[in-house]
Amino acid sequence: MSLLTVQGARASSYRFSPRMRHHLQLWLLLMPFLAGALLLIGLPALITFGLAFTRYDALGTPVWVGLENFAAIIRREVFWIAVRNSLLFAAIAAPLQVTGALLLALLLHPERRGVHLYRSSIYLTTVIPDVAFALIWLWLLNPLYGPINALLGWFGAPQPAWLIESGTALPALALMAATRVGEGMLLLIAARQALPVVYFDAAMLDGAGRWQSFRHITWPLLAPWLLLLLVRDVVVGAHSAFTPVYIMTGGGPGYATTLLPFLIYEEAFSHLRIGQAAAMMAVMFGVIGLLVGFVFQRTRGWGYGDDV
Amino acid sequence: MATMSRKLGEQAVAALRRGAPASKLYSFAHVVIRPGHTAAHLWHGAALLVAVIFLLPLVWMTMASLQPIGLPPARAWTGFPAGVAWSNYAEIFRVIPLAQQLGNSFLVSTVGAGVTLLTASWAGFAMVQMSPRVQHWLVGLALLLLLIPANAVWLPRYVLFARLGLIDTYTALLAASLMGTKSLFVLMYYWSFRRVTVELFESAWLDGASVWTGWRRLAMPLAAPTTLAVLVLSFSHYWSDFVDPLLFLKTAARFTVAVGLRSLQQMDVTRWSLLLAAVVVMIAPVMLLYIGLQMWLRDEPDFARRVLRRLFD
Repeated sequence: MSLLTVQGARASSYRFSPRMRHHLQLWLLLMPFLAGALLLIGLPALITFGLAFTRYDALGTPVWVGLENFAAIIRREVFWIAVRNSLLFAAIAAPLQVTGALLLALLLHPERRGVHLYRSSIYLTTVIPDVAFALIWLWLLNPLYGPINALLGWFGAPQPAWLIESGTALPALALMAATRVGEGMLLLIAARQALPVVYFDAAMLDGAGRWQSFRHITWPLLAPWLLLLLVRDVVVGAHSAFTPVYIMTGGGPGYATTLLPFLIYEEAFSHLRIGQAAAMMAVMFGVIGLLVGFVFQRTRGWGYGDDV
Repeated sequence: MATMSRKLGEQAVAALRRGAPASKLYSFAHVVIRPGHTAAHLWHGAALLVAVIFLLPLVWMTMASLQPIGLPPARAWTGFPAGVAWSNYAEIFRVIPLAQQLGNSFLVSTVGAGVTLLTASWAGFAMVQMSPRVQHWLVGLALLLLLIPANAVWLPRYVLFARLGLIDTYTALLAASLMGTKSLFVLMYYWSFRRVTVELFESAWLDGASVWTGWRRLAMPLAAPTTLAVLVLSFSHYWSDFVDPLLFLKTAARFTVAVGLRSLQQMDVTRWSLLLAAVVVMIAPVMLLYIGLQMWLRDEPDFARRVLRRLFD
């Protein structure tokens, strides 16, 4: 085997200069990543967009129908319910998640004794697989036998029926999503530690209190990271909200927790209306794409680039 | 606050150097130590409270998984009135084919992590050797790919794999490992290799080393911590992956533990300890890997001492 490789390399050296061979080898190493990125992400993302203009049931050949799918989905009430639910979900979960991560980072950024232990305990809850996390919360939120309501009862607080009631089901799912703050916390700890200590020393010499230091130094300097984290939570949330809905509520009660990813899954794989599912996907990512584009335009030059 | 106490401490040391009597230092010590201690206690109290809140569900869950089955779950925490049912952990392997699913998951995750290690490090290594302009574009591409959520590609991937006859095979689950699973892993290697001075590679190329040799002999040994991190992250990615096996696997015998556990969600309330026991079994490997990674990354060869230092340092 090795002999063959050596001979192959020799043979190719007659045709290519060593410099060219070197570059050829480099591109060869890069090839799996580039090919995979193209075939598994780039093209599929484009095809999703293309399928939105076709009628397709995954068996026959797609038939071009123009804008018919878009016209169909905007006439369906369930689509608008899912849009509203998704927006509400993101509006509750993402800001809570970022605020939680920021508070934890502010508490746990100093390199004190035992700080790793505290950070690890919080980060550990982030690495729990989605399915396991959903099953744990299914138990935690059970109105009759769950520990959360037992705890609330102990304090004499009202005990909602959580996932069983349409008013509380979506907020409960959003709260559950908001507890996954580990990665955001680590990012913000790193960002906070990167701020020069002299700023804070200078502020303290000028008699600034803790709140003033935070308000005028930490907050403006961390703002780009917070924004980036907010966008990430919205984008990732659009995907990761699928598993809890699928496991815990099935979109119910009624349509109270039908989020867009779940509706798209149902459309595509239960009803085989792939065209309509793709149209919903296109709308969802159109909105997210606009948001991300806006933020990237705003954050250009904020230190998030190839020189990380 | 900390800076101020440090300054006072330095003043105290300076005073001692100048020959001040030790008794004089009490006033310094008083200022330096007392407020610092109170603040430290407060900080530890707050940090501990937060850590406990985050860990409480896991502790509750583990305890609830040990309650004997057949009884309705206790309304409030009552300890173990009916004894500790370790047998739940044996029972769960009889109720669902958990051993088979764990085996499947282990196979998929190990192969996925191994292939990811190769492809991500190759890509990261090649990127570092490119011209700055190409590097800039490739990093941009990798960051862009990070922002495309997985469900944007559900439909075409399903259609693609169906056409290729890959539905119900592990190839469909593992396809993404050929591109390094996530572009994040490629970036991790890229950032890690960038810390190696360019001259080191340049001299290797001048000596006529092939790119392959440079990757194997120079780059990989220098990026050992990154390799470890990528292995742990990619292993737990495949271990936790729910949507891909849900979409692509049809035969129950091929289910990974993530989709296997789904069958437990409808379990009767009196058998919830089994559900929670299964969850504990699924979570444990991922947790252990992360804890291990955290400790290993402190680049301490003596593992046990590291654990102890972590706990008491």
